[in-house]
Amino acid sequence: MTRILTRHTDQPDQVQLDVARRGGAYQGFEAALSRSRQEVIQEVEASGLRGRGGAGFPTGRKWSFIHPAPDRPVYLLCNADESEPGTFKDHYLLKRDPHLVLEGIAIAAYAIGAHKAYLYLRGEYASLAMVMAGAIEQAKAAGILGDSCLGSGYGLRVSIQLGAGAYICGEETGLIQSLEGRRAYPRVRPPFPASAGFLDQPTVVNNVETLANLPWIMTEGADRYAGVGTGRSAGTKLVSLSGQVSRPGVYEVTMGRPLLQFLNEEGGGMPPGRQLKAVIPGGTSVPILSADEAAGVTIDYESMQAAGTMLGSGGMIAFDDTAQMPPALLRIAEFYAHESCGECTPCREGTGWMAWVLKRLLAGEGRVNDLDLLLRTGDNMEGRTICGLGDAAVQPVQSFIRKFRPEFEALLPPAPDPSPPWQRHGHGPRSARMGPPAVEAALSEPVEGPPTASL
Amino acid sequence: MRRLSDRALAEIETARREEDSARHALLTALRVVQEERRQVGPDEVVQIAALLSLSPATVEGVARFYDQISEEATGRQVLSLCRGISCQLCGADPLAREVLDNLGIEDGGRTQDGSLTVRLVECIGNCDQAPTGMLDTAFVGPLTSTVLSELLTRWRR
Ligand SMILES: Cc1cc2nc3c(=O)[nH]c(=O)nc-3n(C[C@H](O)[C@H](O)[C@H](O)COP(=O)(O)O)c2cc1C
Ligand code: SF4
Ligand code: FES
Repeated sequence: MTRILTRHTDQPDQVQLDVARRGGAYQGFEAALSRSRQEVIQEVEASGLRGRGGAGFPTGRKWSFIHPAPDRPVYLLCNADESEPGTFKDHYLLKRDPHLVLEGIAIAAYAIGAHKAYLYLRGEYASLAMVMAGAIEQAKAAGILGDSCLGSGYGLRVSIQLGAGAYICGEETGLIQSLEGRRAYPRVRPPFPASAGFLDQPTVVNNVETLANLPWIMTEGADRYAGVGTGRSAGTKLVSLSGQVSRPGVYEVTMGRPLLQFLNEEGGGMPPGRQLKAVIPGGTSVPILSADEAAGVTIDYESMQAAGTMLGSGGMIAFDDTAQMPPALLRIAEFYAHESCGECTPCREGTGWMAWVLKRLLAGEGRVNDLDLLLRTGDNMEGRTICGLGDAAVQPVQSFIRKFRPEFEALLPPAPDPSPPWQRHGHGPRSARMGPPAVEAALSEPVEGPPTASL
Repeated sequence: MRRLSDRALAEIETARREEDSARHALLTALRVVQEERRQVGPDEVVQIAALLSLSPATVEGVARFYDQISEEATGRQVLSLCRGISCQLCGADPLAREVLDNLGIEDGGRTQDGSLTVRLVECIGNCDQAPTGMLDTAFVGPLTSTVLSELLTRWRR
């Protein structure tokens, strides 16, 4: 298979500039600098590279929305917030090949006409900030970064910003807000960051892994890149494999690789004596697949979509047959309830309610219609929020309940007598106004709210 | 009000000068002060506000948004135990319970001598080492009862 991102990640001392350069580091940047910005954008568009942060938006196209003007500085923001549960691929790249990431940043910045780039790292990656700061210093000292990168006359400064613990800073407009020193409340779009982003200037936000593909595209060419992978999924994907599996870790996979083959070969299969029960293919924000569904799926955008899920961040979480779905889902729901920034009502209230209802179910205090209540809550959130977190929170809840419903039903109180009240009590139809017994019971109890969402 | 160290003041000043907007330095200031004082409480809020020419309300509002900036002082060291889904699947819950019970504290609590705070946190991006956690900024894992008790003994000394 073609290795694009992990060619040097096992090389000892790869963090040292001279070692990295011996392996070809910054040759892609040099190649980019020898061409015009438009040519670089065209090359990346032709490669078919799509964003690896989760949404899969074509990278070259995103860049083409930037129109530099003399009085408007352009910014490149490298998104290293990596907080999607089950995702640690950017961690791996930053730690093992910081110059690859830095070179990707430099190429993208040049292409969009930015002279300032920020690397926004989640607060928990403070140790990686040290690694990246070292790489930046070395590159500056060697004249790769600075007022005239590699003697080209193009100037670029790269700064690191560490976050302070909030998942929403990974959402691109949340990231911009955080970088501006504000609460990371996502912004309503339009305007899109390409026209008014960081400090209201034209801005591109790209994921670490997306940028790490650029050096290879620059040296090997768009055609070669487009030839790796399948159809609309060009190149390779880093998969962060974790959960109940023999060999968790980060693996570079050619797009189109059958999921189960990957799990069994690279991942070493399930722990001894266990069977695969389910797998979340792209971080907790995408629908889970049962083992049967996973059997037909390949690791690429199209196949995941056809299976009703998404490639997302590539955070693959395996569940074996000992896993219990209700507590797992509660944990995931609690994550979103904790991380909802609280800016919009459907997400703030919906995530709180979903976690609350799941919690009472698991505590043995569920009500007969709780599963439908959970599904309905999700329906009322989807598409009604400012950013993608609201939708993301709904995916695990709906897919877990739909695909593993018996496990959730087992937690419900005994079903009420299904016959209508008038038959039971011998009343006339008027008493039907009281509604089904469950609703009656629910209404007669005080309405409890979820714990106050933290703002 | 205790003064911030020269090192901290210099770090904040650098961030303020280097960046394109003074406000931008706020996140760095919060981190620097949290590290030095182990909290960003009312005193710290006022100090940061004065340094960056912002209102205390602005600083307070931003400080309370982020999990790693704490209003109450943490212990001299912070042990963060991941309770994310991958760690949960690998047995994080009983481990965390054991640690908290042994120390006689709850999630977010501080040991009586003030030396250690234990927090249960969301996925820290180290899931292949599940169950995992962090001692201050260092990743630790995979955690077992033995590894954890060793870690805690070393910390006690
Ligand atoms: C709630 C939420 C969290 C996100 N977290 C991340 C993240 O941690 N890292 C990331 O690269 N993208 C994240 N994204 C996607 C970004 O908004 C954005 O699409 C991405 O950084 C663009 O880069 P790309 O085009 O290179 O993928 C998140 C999106 C949402 C809605
Ligand atoms: S969807 Fe949720 S996280 Fe996103 S802006 Fe609305 S409240 Fe905040
Ligand atoms: S779930 Fe624990 S580190 Fe990701």
